[in-house]
Amino acid sequence: MRTRRLERRPRFGVFVTVLFFGWLYLPILAVALFSLNDKKSLSAFSGFSLRWYDDLVHNSALISSLVASLEIATVSAVGSLVLGTMLALGLERVRGRRGRVIGAVTLLPLVTPEIVTGVAALLLFTGIGLKLSMTTVILAEVTFSIAYVTVIVRGRLAGISMEVEEAARDLGCTPFQALRLVTIPTLVPALVGAGLLVFALVFDDFVLAFFTTGVDPQPLPVRVYSSIRFGVSPAINAIGTLMLLGSALLIVAALTVPRLFNRGTSSLDLITGGQR
Amino acid sequence: MTPHPRLALPRTSRRSLLTGGLALGASMALPGCAYIRDDVPVDAPLPKSAKAEIDGDLVYFNWADYLAPKVLRGFQEEFGVRIIESNFDSMEGMYAKLAAGNQYDIVFPIAKWVVKLRQEGKLRAIDPAQLDNADQVFYAGSYFNDPWYDAGSRVSIPFTVYKTGIGWRTDKVSSMTGSWHDLWNDDASGHIFTLDDQDEALAMAALLLGYGVNTAKASELAEMKKLLISQKDVLRAYSSDDINDMTGGDAWVHHMWSGDFLYLRQGLANDPTKFDFEAPTEGTPINSDTYAIPANAKHPGTAMVFIDYLLRPENAIRNMRYLYYPFPVKDALPAFSELAKDVPACNVEVSDLENENVYRLLSADDQQRRSATWTEVKAS
Amino acid sequence: MATVAATDRAAKAPRSAQRTWLWGALLALPTAWMVAFFVSSMAIIVLLSFGRTTNDGYPAFALRTANYRAIWNDVYLELFVRSLVYALATVVISVLIAYPVAYTIARHGGRYKNALIAAIVVPFFASYLIRMYAWKALLSDEGLVNSGLRKTGLSDGVTFLNTPWAVVGGLVYGFVVYMILPIYASLERLDGSLIEAGKDLYHGPVRTFFSVTLPATRPGLYGGILLVFLPALGDFVSAQLLGGANTYMMGNLVQQQFAEGQNWPLGSALTVGMMAALTVLMVIYLRATSTQAREGS
Repeated sequence: MRTRRLERRPRFGVFVTVLFFGWLYLPILAVALFSLNDKKSLSAFSGFSLRWYDDLVHNSALISSLVASLEIATVSAVGSLVLGTMLALGLERVRGRRGRVIGAVTLLPLVTPEIVTGVAALLLFTGIGLKLSMTTVILAEVTFSIAYVTVIVRGRLAGISMEVEEAARDLGCTPFQALRLVTIPTLVPALVGAGLLVFALVFDDFVLAFFTTGVDPQPLPVRVYSSIRFGVSPAINAIGTLMLLGSALLIVAALTVPRLFNRGTSSLDLITGGQR
Repeated sequence: MTPHPRLALPRTSRRSLLTGGLALGASMALPGCAYIRDDVPVDAPLPKSAKAEIDGDLVYFNWADYLAPKVLRGFQEEFGVRIIESNFDSMEGMYAKLAAGNQYDIVFPIAKWVVKLRQEGKLRAIDPAQLDNADQVFYAGSYFNDPWYDAGSRVSIPFTVYKTGIGWRTDKVSSMTGSWHDLWNDDASGHIFTLDDQDEALAMAALLLGYGVNTAKASELAEMKKLLISQKDVLRAYSSDDINDMTGGDAWVHHMWSGDFLYLRQGLANDPTKFDFEAPTEGTPINSDTYAIPANAKHPGTAMVFIDYLLRPENAIRNMRYLYYPFPVKDALPAFSELAKDVPACNVEVSDLENENVYRLLSADDQQRRSATWTEVKAS
Repeated sequence: MATVAATDRAAKAPRSAQRTWLWGALLALPTAWMVAFFVSSMAIIVLLSFGRTTNDGYPAFALRTANYRAIWNDVYLELFVRSLVYALATVVISVLIAYPVAYTIARHGGRYKNALIAAIVVPFFASYLIRMYAWKALLSDEGLVNSGLRKTGLSDGVTFLNTPWAVVGGLVYGFVVYMILPIYASLERLDGSLIEAGKDLYHGPVRTFFSVTLPATRPGLYGGILLVFLPALGDFVSAQLLGGANTYMMGNLVQQQFAEGQNWPLGSALTVGMMAALTVLMVIYLRATSTQAREGS
């Protein structure tokens, strides 16, 4: 974008933006700070200590929740990537009302309140007699993450002209080969971005997990939610800080890795569906 | 549903919203459509007690942070076994996992759930003769030889007892009368909290109106509903996070669990005199926790050893100093009196357990009526 | 080359058929998945909403309208209106925040644009619950914020928590990013000279905004409104953690039935009612904003 100094820097805009960032980060800083507090208090800081991180390491229940969360997020990310990409490819190329209907249905999860999706998943699994477990959490998470992948991949696809594929076909590729050798490689940045995004979303999701968790270790956010209702222990602060750092790294990776593949792609385009 | 006494820190989560669904979900894990179910057995046979000898690691299932870490570590070191810990965050959750077939060696049900688990044959007998320290709870004349929830004390050992009352800020409020009406105190308007718990809130209203805490009579429930709704003019929120509500300064008067209050005052507060507790004269709900061995436990022998270990007075004392709830272990009780000496209202006498203010198992219909009442109170 | 030409001729005729075959096949699996899990789960909610609870306290299918009759009462309708109001407030506040922030970053972020957006996105997808709980600690009557206010003499202490504003604040905190991103995307795509021209024409930032910027970013705005309003309407976390005695929302009511209340059929009926209301609102909204909304979402 051409920068033209003709437009004054809007003080109001900057003011609101700064306030916004402050509002956004204040609790994060508070959590991180108090996870290093040497007393249990959440209102007075009395000294630095790593004791809560030490507690955390010895807390096998929290650790197994963390492991469960990681597993669920990984499998869900892979699953929704596969399905979401297939969907995006199909929707982008298939014309007609059928495509539009399917497209609309797959976007429904994005605008449905989480409690509805949670309840729906719970009723379905118990209704067919499927025992609630990590598997059911994964199934539910995949179902509701497909939409994110589809939106991102479609956004990228819209920019890939069909002509590239046509050219490949002209050179003798079958449609499947064209897909495999031409389209997918071009999509890789979007896939990486979408995968990392879904991982972060699922890792932090609690409403769905809440309704579909079974006998296996509860995912971390569910455990945090349960504790929160009765008062958070500083060990939760410690794990919260770690979760924040982890998700932060993932998002940053999601936004920057695609740029490594394809300089010039605004990483945000992948999420917002914009195209340059 | 009865709240479970919480540790101040780290907190246990008592009611998980999930667990309701979880309970039904897991227990409905039958093939085919689960909304057409079989009945569960009632008055099932009682599996025999195991011998108290180590037969593997201990699979332990309890509220989070409910025993002093030192006590748990001590057990592992002394007997050379591991404790594999899982946590539930409500009774429904615990029940669901048991019903789903999970094999735990020791679980910690609240009194009325012992009734249910016993009826369905999910617990095995515990033979006191196997335990060296059995006389710490089962001495001659002890209430626990035959508690209301476990006839003949065949399947459970008492864990803690607690009552529900009102905690308040002495520096903010001075007009407390020792009645449940104090939760309507105008001087504290906007700083009053009621526990976000169906059984506790309904019990509080019932006691004020002179009804039984387990009542499910439509007319009585209607009165209770009106009473609770009238409280909303001065009520700040329904919350079970009582300790943090008090320390954060939002609460001046809080419907509160006795052990939580003791922890707040003795364990946390910089100035203990700022806080006080009352057990209202209309009556206070009493509840008790137990521990028991599931019928399908893989290592019941280790569980028996663990129970014996917990009954050692020095361990009971450690747990009390961690939880601030009384453990009915004979030689350890003086230590609790020491902890609670400034707040006699927090003392729970064993005789209290024999009164009517205990939460009992109810029929589904009664349960539904009570739930509907509570929902309407919260939604109005 | 001859081979290419030959292949070409051979491939040309059935190519369109092949193409559709592949894409159609690709569509099949995910569609089947969505039908199996999403569509059928929604269907079960509807089915169970006509159900009953057995004597043992378990949900069972049946055919009764008792649940629907039960939800048609003043209390629940008032709850619905309250949830609507909170959701609308959330949308309005989100828009008021999103435009300045998105505009400043898009038009004045320079080479820090992506970093700034990342800095917004990162916290939003990380530990929502922990951040909400931190707010609880920070905003309590004797917490850090109020202590600060008292020390600096700015105020005697403000009751932040357990109020409708706390609930709306929590909702905004959770959803504003879904408003910022689409608006930012729209602004990014906007040709800067359009705004310059507008400034020349309209002589004032406010009028430029309403006459140029706003219409041009309409797709982003409409997308954002949908992505914020609908989920906020059904939210239960904010009211539960930060709410008071009179801030109960529809989401809380539904969740209560699946937890403590143990009345799944009633909960299902409430869910169906909520989704019906949401659908009606969405249809009205989409009609009113015409085709632009569909393109923008």
